Amino acid sequence: MTGATDTAPGAVLTRLAATGATGALHGRVGALYLADGAVVHAESPAVPDVGWRLTAGGRLSAQEWEEAVETGGPDYRAGCFLVERGRLSRGELELCHLSALFDAAYFVLFPLDRSQQAPDRFLKEARHWFGPVRPVPVSVLQREVSRRRALLELAWPRPEVDVAPVVPASGAGAGGAGCDEPTCGRRAVLAAADGVRTPLQIARALGRSAFATLLDVRRLAAAGLVRTPEAGVPAPGGPTPRAADPAVPEISLLYRIRDALEAL
Amino acid sequence: MTGIDGCLAEAMTIPGARGASLVDWSSGLALGAAGCSPEAGTGRDHETTAAEVAELARLAFESGAFTAAAGPRPGPGPVEDMIVTAQDSYHLIRFVETSFDSSVFLYLWLDRTEANLAVALFRLKDITARLVPA
Repeated sequence: MTGATDTAPGAVLTRLAATGATGALHGRVGALYLADGAVVHAESPAVPDVGWRLTAGGRLSAQEWEEAVETGGPDYRAGCFLVERGRLSRGELELCHLSALFDAAYFVLFPLDRSQQAPDRFLKEARHWFGPVRPVPVSVLQREVSRRRALLELAWPRPEVDVAPVVPASGAGAGGAGCDEPTCGRRAVLAAADGVRTPLQIARALGRSAFATLLDVRRLAAAGLVRTPEAGVPAPGGPTPRAADPAVPEISLLYRIRDALEAL
Repeated sequence: MTGIDGCLAEAMTIPGARGASLVDWSSGLALGAAGCSPEAGTGRDHETTAAEVAELARLAFESGAFTAAAGPRPGPGPVEDMIVTAQDSYHLIRFVETSFDSSVFLYLWLDRTEANLAVALFRLKDITARLVPA
């Protein structure tokens, strides 16, 4: 297995795991939350979070999600609250949360913007309002993100497609509408490629894993179904992928500030 | 209601079960595993098996041959199960349907001399339906 070296992302993370730390490893690209040395939550502005995924396809209404954040959040157990209220099955909660956790962790440890660093600041005892669902050992997480990076490289070794608007090659695209259905696979990605959205914006529109969308775009590019921009040429004035994500990150930020104050 | 561990523990009670895992096929990530991996003796484990089986599952799930004949019913995809019969074993894949975007299947490795294919398929369907109720 390649990739797990001294320079692997999150050398800090390895140390935190070894000491059984609890808190948040955070930076500009997002945060990883640990409890007793295992990763219990990850957030990145690049990926659709659990709430977005559950509401985008209509699994939960916005009201149901907000109720969980407002009622379960202050006790750091919004996730379990959803199960207790019968909004989700335990299985749904675990599948959705794990998928979102690995998705966010990838972009925290390997930011798309190569000028950004993986986080190295640690806020002791900080906890996330969603609450632990299924803790992931740090070693498992690190192996997985390295494997994912290799998968992207293997699919199509041209990272230019990651950040450029996805332009279907002539005759390949469908374009635009109907992205609110829970569809899977690269067909959905191709259908949502309107020549303006970047892969991360498509992931958001579909309420879908950002990594899986990136991988689909690389595979589509390799198959000649999506255009690969010329290396070194900046993408034509597309909006930045950081689309407005209403309310939820702000609440998350408020909780984090409160945690920081309490930890003083 | 069962979570991932409960689902895997139940899968391991299916006659002939040697190993089970819940796998995300878009990435090849094992979300959970129980029992043995078919590749355990070779120094490989559930993670490697998950990545390999996921590749097969993804190809089937996205294949035009398997999906084109299906109607326009909304949902993640028309492929439900995959069965691989090998000399001494069966390998079953049951796709888990969710009403949010996901790409998960339950993988079961069975000893062929002890397993009953029909029973195993029926049980898998029941187990995944309880993991994610319709």
